[in-house]
Amino acid sequence: MVQSAQFAHSLEGWFGFLPLWGWAAISAGLVIYMLALPFGGLATYIERKIAADMQDRIGPNRVGPIGIFQFAADAIKMLSKEDFVPKGGDRFLFNLAPLFVVVGSCTAFAVLPLSKYLIGADVNIGVIFLLAVTTLIAPGLLLGSWASENKWSLLGGLRAASQIVSYEIPVALSILPVVLISGSLQIGQIVEQQGWTVFGENPATNHFWNAFHNPFTFFSMFLLFVGGLAETNRIPFDLPEAESELVSGFNTEFSGMRFGLYALGEFCDVFVMSAMVTALYLGGWHIPFLDIEKLGFALPTGLVAFIQFHMFMIKTLLVVFVVMWLRWTLPRLRVDQLMGMCWKGLLPLAFFNVLGTALWMWVFKGQSLMQLLAGHG
Amino acid sequence: MNKVLLLAEILTVASALIVGFHPNILYASVFLLFTFCGVAVMFLFAGADFLAGAQVIIYVGGVTILILFAIMLTQWLYKIKLADIRNKMVVPALLSAAVGVFLYRALHQMVAALPPQTPEALEKFTATPKTAAIGQALLGGYLFPFEAITILLLGAMVGAVWLARPE
Amino acid sequence: METGFITAFWFVIISALTVPLMLGVGFLLRPKGKDTRRKMTAYECGEEPVGSAWIKFNIRFYIVAIVFIIFDVEMAAIFPAATVFKDSIANGTVALVFGEIFLFVALLLIGLIYCWVRGDLEWVKGVTKFAPNK
Repeated sequence: MVQSAQFAHSLEGWFGFLPLWGWAAISAGLVIYMLALPFGGLATYIERKIAADMQDRIGPNRVGPIGIFQFAADAIKMLSKEDFVPKGGDRFLFNLAPLFVVVGSCTAFAVLPLSKYLIGADVNIGVIFLLAVTTLIAPGLLLGSWASENKWSLLGGLRAASQIVSYEIPVALSILPVVLISGSLQIGQIVEQQGWTVFGENPATNHFWNAFHNPFTFFSMFLLFVGGLAETNRIPFDLPEAESELVSGFNTEFSGMRFGLYALGEFCDVFVMSAMVTALYLGGWHIPFLDIEKLGFALPTGLVAFIQFHMFMIKTLLVVFVVMWLRWTLPRLRVDQLMGMCWKGLLPLAFFNVLGTALWMWVFKGQSLMQLLAGHG
Repeated sequence: MNKVLLLAEILTVASALIVGFHPNILYASVFLLFTFCGVAVMFLFAGADFLAGAQVIIYVGGVTILILFAIMLTQWLYKIKLADIRNKMVVPALLSAAVGVFLYRALHQMVAALPPQTPEALEKFTATPKTAAIGQALLGGYLFPFEAITILLLGAMVGAVWLARPE
Repeated sequence: METGFITAFWFVIISALTVPLMLGVGFLLRPKGKDTRRKMTAYECGEEPVGSAWIKFNIRFYIVAIVFIIFDVEMAAIFPAATVFKDSIANGTVALVFGEIFLFVALLLIGLIYCWVRGDLEWVKGVTKFAPNK
């Protein structure tokens, strides 16, 4: 936020008149309405196009140039569906459930490091904030499934909640090596320490991307990725909303915009998880081996922010692409395989990685592979 | 008084009242969730940033889910009508008032005994991050409680799964 | 309280307001449907729903939630310790800190292994090697 405020002050003539909360509200509105919600909408279209490509057919191509307004058409369709609470269902909870999912996913955008100067809220407990806020999604699914007054929805919701809740531990434990390495929970600092340039001096705190810090963190990145897949109910952990098993799982009785909000929340969550992997392990907004602020000449802050933002988005969207790619590649895990994989697979591995990273840091005094190479080479 | 803090306090107290008095037990647990969120916001204003995050992670993400599982899976639990309490409110109300007055006076005395702080110093204190300090304390002076927590958690886990075995 | 949290609150408020906003727009646009009995019943792939919408008590959900809370509290205790690990390298107390974290993690791993071996983490009953305690 300090960086954003500094950035704003560089446009002082325009924004200097707003009090702090005004500027905060505008940043929040901009990020949500220009990044989170459009991504949620477009992701439905992108997924269909990617699916089509992998299945050797053309996806939506009628609405707009390459079918790009399909998501808008879907949104309008969903908005005009009839309002429908099943008989015996609980109206209040039925309406409340999508709220948790949307708030949980969209608030996480506050701590995403879009650029060095564009972090909505670079709070000191950034990583914990992210974990805390994405945890709000589980009660949403559970309450929604219960309020549907449908056995199969309830079963789907219970499975979804227990899946999300179980996989939170490996996710948190996969974030722990990064915290060990960076010594801070602040995401802005974690990303800054991942800068590495070959054209000059590197600050002593900088190691190259966390994924390449040591073999244990490389492994942790994949654990985080898999845990993130499970948290967002994506294939292969798709059972709660399994299309062919529980009809539509916990969102069977949801129609129209309420279902749209669930889908939106899920895609925003996918983005948040991918952004988490990118920011914590893949160097966030850093261009590999280049530091654009340390070139001979000074670039204007706006241009730097622009370039960094695009770098971040490229990396995150690559991870999102892999997530969507997996959907059409892997079969779905059975529920006991899913839970077994968490408690007997990912969890011990995540612990092993934490201890391994701590051991590496002890032996090599906190230096990364890149620093060791640079030190000796 | 900060408006957001006031709002959080009202949310917490109102949710707690609903938890106590709502006839539907599922609604009571949903409002318990809001109570936890309100408490987390109050922690933030008191400067305990890490604790607020831990509160949301553990209580909202864990305890609420546990309670909801228990309610949803136990049919007879849901059918309990929270008994008509209108006639039995006098003694509990008096007791709560007495405890409330006692707590208020005790806290007031404690706060008055502290050295006076300027608002700026307080503001600075609440804005400093506490995670590193907590870490130092846990690994330094409070090491024994830190390790004792593990043993407690181990005991809790073994006990819970032992109780849940098919008998 | 840091200024960053103000932005975080605004995120919560704006995303919380988006939901009624979208549902409200839908409310304006949608038709008022008729309340037919058939339409309002729960969907069970075309069959009539049998029995109430309750399922029998499955304790495994509850066990998973309890074990999750245990590990969650452990995580919440480890995060601050992990934050000072890097500084302890500079301080020279790294062996001690590593030992403390190792002990913490090891004790809980023992608990996990116990539950695993006794078959409490099995999702499907009857696939365990040990007989359940009677």
